[in-house]
Amino acid sequence: MSTTIKTSRIVMPGDRFAGLSVLLLTLLALAAGWLLKTSVENRSQAFKSGTISAQAPAGWLSLQPVGNEVLHVTDRTSKGFGTTYLIQVEAVPADAQAGQVVSLVTLERGSALTGYRVLKQQEVLVQGRKAIEIDYVYVESASNLNHVVLPSVVRGLDYIFVNAGQAIIVSYRADQSVYDADLGRFQRFLVSVKN
Amino acid sequence: MPNQICCVCGKEGVKSIARRWFCAEHFESATHERPGSWRAILALVVVLIVFVGVVYGLDALIKPQFNPFTLMLVGVVLALVPAAIWLVFFYQQDRLEPEPAGYVLGVFALGALLAAAVGTPLLNNVFRVSHWLYADTLTTIVGSILVVGFTQEFLKYAAVRFSIYNSGEFDEPTDGIIYATAAGLGYATVLNVQFVIANGGVDLGAGVIAMAVVALAQASFAGITGYFLGRAKFGSNPIWWMPLGVTLAAVANGLFNWLRGLITHPAISLTGSAASPWLGLILAAVVAAGLMGLLVWLIRRNIKSALATQ
Repeated sequence: MSTTIKTSRIVMPGDRFAGLSVLLLTLLALAAGWLLKTSVENRSQAFKSGTISAQAPAGWLSLQPVGNEVLHVTDRTSKGFGTTYLIQVEAVPADAQAGQVVSLVTLERGSALTGYRVLKQQEVLVQGRKAIEIDYVYVESASNLNHVVLPSVVRGLDYIFVNAGQAIIVSYRADQSVYDADLGRFQRFLVSVKN
Repeated sequence: MPNQICCVCGKEGVKSIARRWFCAEHFESATHERPGSWRAILALVVVLIVFVGVVYGLDALIKPQFNPFTLMLVGVVLALVPAAIWLVFFYQQDRLEPEPAGYVLGVFALGALLAAAVGTPLLNNVFRVSHWLYADTLTTIVGSILVVGFTQEFLKYAAVRFSIYNSGEFDEPTDGIIYATAAGLGYATVLNVQFVIANGGVDLGAGVIAMAVVALAQASFAGITGYFLGRAKFGSNPIWWMPLGVTLAAVANGLFNWLRGLITHPAISLTGSAASPWLGLILAAVVAAGLMGLLVWLIRRNIKSALATQ
């Protein structure tokens, strides 16, 4: 039985340059794509309520504020739990200490959120303003009992600013799988919050 | 003499075309357009339509529920069948010297592997395209070309260029299209399995139509790159030749992704009505079918050119 004999072709220098030029072109295209991604993600729309203003992400779903909320926006493109930014305003006694407000907020969160656990709590400076940072997790389950879906583990971050008889709580909540990836964008939102 | 051996079956060669020897039987099949080949192509299209119809009907009748294992199984089967049909379709076009099936399947597997190991993680986890790509029409078109198009087309190019391209089996310009479409179909198979799993098996009837279109489209885009690869190996071309091929494929891929996005990300108006998902699917299918027609024409032109040199 005879067989076909075929030989490999020697790679010419032109081939190597063609391969490199395709690789270079692809990297350039991806770099331009990254710039486009960044510019789209940085698009924002101005929000103002009373003395509080912020730059909320453009294109996010703005929900009707409930209770002490003044801003409630969520990313409709998120899978599972929608990444959410919240601004809440609590009236507190004029001489209230930050620690008292933190206890109050922790109690409220504990009763409202399933499986609420504080991971870390510390005092931080945000644009020169003192704040208490609370890092926490809870479990979010669909309210519709017929909706067969596993509950999501949500990671949250609260920044509590206490000033002249009011506490402003700026919150970030995201599915734990995307929490780190979305955190940078929230930090930009946080520094845009003014009162 | 080894060079007078039929390049298809290995028997004694009696006639040659473009420095390749053929036995009498394979010389006949290489030089004559058989009516049976058109019937075979038609039969493949009919098989695909029947398959889509059966899945559509079963989904409407049974409304199946899946557990994770059966969902994965159904996803793999639904993704593999259209890919296999299109693979046979493109493979049959190369009547001059059919490529070894094992090599074609190897490049198919490499395309799938690169999609699962590099393409999908890069697009979903690094670029996170679902979060920003559909912000507005211009962003969708530009982003689809720059990010989705270039990522996918580069990986399909790499699957051929850094594997079979340097082999002796890649011995005619048409082989570029055949191997690249195989890589494209491997890539499409992974995309389609992920599509079924992401939807949890919901609406398989409409989904299987989209999957057949995606498989054809991914094969056709890769085929453009493959055409340029084939010409690059057997001709002297300027340095921009290959980048041009990948760019054309990426542009076609990006436009297709935008049209397909009308299905997965329909624009919702204030009245609550949504853009018809079927319109996007039909437009995407037209793009894919047009490119497939172009590739078939290019393959036949290559074969005619080779026969003219005998």
